[in-house]
Amino acid sequence: MRGGAGRALAMAYLVACVAGVMFFALSVALLGYWPKQVLDRQTRAMGPAFVLELGPSARRGRAIYAREGCAYCHTQQVRYLAADHARFGAPTLAWETRLDYPHLWGTRRIGPDLSRAGGTRSDDWHFAHLFSPRALVPQSVMPAYPRLFDGAPDRPRQEARDLVAYLNTLGRARELAGPEGEARAREACNCPDDEMMQMAFHGPLDAHPARARRVQDAPAFPRGDLARGRQLYAVHCATCHGVRGEGDGPGAAGLLPAPTNLAEHDYAPERIAGALWNGVAGTAMPAWRDHSLDDLAALVAAVRALGPSQVAGGLQASGTEPALPATLMELGRRAYRDNCVQCHGERGDGSGSAGGALSIAPSDLTRQRPTLARTVETLRGGIPGTPMAPWTSRLTDAELIAVAQYVRTLYTGPAIGAVR
Amino acid sequence: MSFGPLKTHDSRPKTTLHGTGNRISPVTDHLDQSKPEGASLVDTGLVRAHGLASLVTLLVAATFGIIVSIQLLLPDVGKDVAWLSWGRLRYAHTQGIMFGWLGNAFFAFFYHAVPILTGRPVTSARLGWWLFGLWNFAAIVPGWVLVLAGVSQPLEWAEFPLVVDAVIVLGLALAAVQFLPGFFARGLESLYVSSWYILGGLVFTLLAYPMGNVVPEFVAGAGGAAFSGLWIHDAVGLYVTPLALAIIYFVIPAATRQPIYSHFLSMLGFWLLFFLYPLNGTHHYVFSVIPMAAQMSAIAASALLGVTVVIVVTNLFLSLRGAGIVPRDPGLRFVATGTLFYLIVSLQGASQAQMAVNQTVHFTDWVVGHSHLAMLGFASFAAAGGLVHAWQRMPSARYNARAISGAYWLLTVGVVIMVSDLTIAGLVQGRLWQTDAPWIVSVEATRPYWLVRTLSGVPLAAGFIALLLGLTTGPRGAGLQSIAASDGAEPASHIQPRFAVATLTASEGV
Repeated sequence: MRGGAGRALAMAYLVACVAGVMFFALSVALLGYWPKQVLDRQTRAMGPAFVLELGPSARRGRAIYAREGCAYCHTQQVRYLAADHARFGAPTLAWETRLDYPHLWGTRRIGPDLSRAGGTRSDDWHFAHLFSPRALVPQSVMPAYPRLFDGAPDRPRQEARDLVAYLNTLGRARELAGPEGEARAREACNCPDDEMMQMAFHGPLDAHPARARRVQDAPAFPRGDLARGRQLYAVHCATCHGVRGEGDGPGAAGLLPAPTNLAEHDYAPERIAGALWNGVAGTAMPAWRDHSLDDLAALVAAVRALGPSQVAGGLQASGTEPALPATLMELGRRAYRDNCVQCHGERGDGSGSAGGALSIAPSDLTRQRPTLARTVETLRGGIPGTPMAPWTSRLTDAELIAVAQYVRTLYTGPAIGAVR
Repeated sequence: MSFGPLKTHDSRPKTTLHGTGNRISPVTDHLDQSKPEGASLVDTGLVRAHGLASLVTLLVAATFGIIVSIQLLLPDVGKDVAWLSWGRLRYAHTQGIMFGWLGNAFFAFFYHAVPILTGRPVTSARLGWWLFGLWNFAAIVPGWVLVLAGVSQPLEWAEFPLVVDAVIVLGLALAAVQFLPGFFARGLESLYVSSWYILGGLVFTLLAYPMGNVVPEFVAGAGGAAFSGLWIHDAVGLYVTPLALAIIYFVIPAATRQPIYSHFLSMLGFWLLFFLYPLNGTHHYVFSVIPMAAQMSAIAASALLGVTVVIVVTNLFLSLRGAGIVPRDPGLRFVATGTLFYLIVSLQGASQAQMAVNQTVHFTDWVVGHSHLAMLGFASFAAAGGLVHAWQRMPSARYNARAISGAYWLLTVGVVIMVSDLTIAGLVQGRLWQTDAPWIVSVEATRPYWLVRTLSGVPLAAGFIALLLGLTTGPRGAGLQSIAASDGAEPASHIQPRFAVATLTASEGV
């Protein structure tokens, strides 16, 4: 039935069919199998000998992360690009993903990349955020997951705990490998001229702009614009600290320690600047290094303007207070020396010898002056969620009042006057 | 044998529709759909079943899509209901579109086209109903239920869990048994390009699908991602594109009643597409830790693919000469617009794979716009065109021409608005990410674009409903009448590769 031409055509098609299958095989070999071999070699050469596997809770959390499609808005792949590097830290190395079955790289970023999210937020922040993202970030479009909770952000179910346990592991392997691990990887990479690969080793791993740091190395802030600061405060800060700074924002409910009542403290500008730049490690207060210095300076002005000496008007408008009787001062000084110095330091700057070991750094009383009422309440009830304990069992009522009065004199910052 | 486009088109009879009749062998004569014997080869029950299933799953999957788009504007919608959460609906949306809508629409079209292309009925009607039941009630419905219940895998275009994947592989294998033997019986040298696309699509999807779904479960992290990247592109390049092109290549000559411009270009395009599509995958992970040589190969293949699509689309457009930009025939109209979308989405794809573009638009809504242009613009228009074309030719089927025309315009408006909107949104996001603005600024800036995207869902949903109405309301047999009223009988010779017909006739001495 078929002529010679037909046979030739059939042969041509047969050849093409074989070629088609070969090209598919080529794609699997060239773009699947070969990269896998290279990545496996990289993993062996650059990774540490031992990588901590996910614990049972984090493993369950990873399944929840996968199930809810978190990877469809949050990538877990920092690209070898300066813009990615600046925002999310070091680009992802192959060995960091060696326990990801299956990978969660994602293809779309509606929210930020989470490769190095571990350690950037506190657990209570995560719980409050998962329960109601907009309670913390009003412009967020992230879905809320109240069904992982028993009706309140501070009552997480096991699933919420698992998910947060998983989030805390993101980026952990590389951090645990430490500077030695980085050096080893860099050496094994043996790619001094490969500009792209070198990017993986630039800068500290914990460069995430929201990550809180214990060190206080805020840059010098310019003079802030109060009006701008108030706008920014309303958007970024009021969710936790409340519209008037009273620590009663919608996001405050689940946080422990609770957000500071800014209306009860007068602050030196550098104290606010430090908290904004470095965050407050151990609390839900993140760092805000992704904002411009001008904006942060504006926020400093806005936060200062919330202070008691600013809003009360009249009584404390000058910022100076009547001198205390000498006997009271002496009683306070002695009680402070006997009980508070270990953490808060002799001058009250939080540099006491025991302070460094605390999960949350002791307050620097030379840079913030709480109201008397606030101080007394703190001494009576402690600050829940922090190492600051109630002192009623150690101090007599008279001592307690005296210490409260005394610590308010430790402030040595710029005169508390009208900010405006 | 004439391989050259010039010769082919020069020898084309311009006036007589039956001008090639003297060269049709007896084997192909009965393919004429206007004759009862030709029609009897087509199992219209299965066309109808898969067609209706495709439209129902389309409405469900589109509803999922509309809900997730609304949730980006009102994120607390459905927050207390686990199965209404964004991520799960997003999984159900894409898998529903790919397997529910497109899968069923492809099968419906195959039941119409394969008997005409092969000259014999499909393997077995009973097998057909098994495949129908399996595909819809053992794959798509359970897939949706499981994904919404939280049993899924977090891999793009592979979200159904492994147990459902197994059913889909079985379904694809049954489809191969159902549709392919006729092509082999007929002989490869006399196959029209649509047959090749159906063959290639089913065979290669059968190879690629398990790779994309299973390998990343066993190959960790970056290595697994390399395979995921392959499948993300194979899903579009080896499943959706070939099967949509099979429809386009079939409907154009069948509706214009002129042969395709060049069978040689058709086959050239076919093989180039199948050579190049699989090599594109890694362009989904540009600037990743995957070896740069693999990234570069994929980027180069992406550029070549763009060139190839220009060849394919040129051939298709030349075949559409005389039909106008918006052809009168409704099936052809969908298919012609789908071809235009195919050109745009392919050139867009070739450019966004390039590093300079990729570094800005990757991870943004630009890519979401791109995939909608591919799946909704190109593939869905081709599938809708194929469905309408097949439906018109079913003697007892209801057919509502006005609803179908309305569907076309609504869908066209919807796609254009959505894709332009998301493309601009992607550029805005990409630009903001390169500044030192806080992340949330890019979310804020996108809100108006998300609103427009959701609003584009109004014409789109209306268009889908109109399409359903177009094929379920109106008088029975109205489709056939509308063909008869326009141009009379329709010869099937134009879906013969001319050089093959020449060969056949020469050897048979007809």
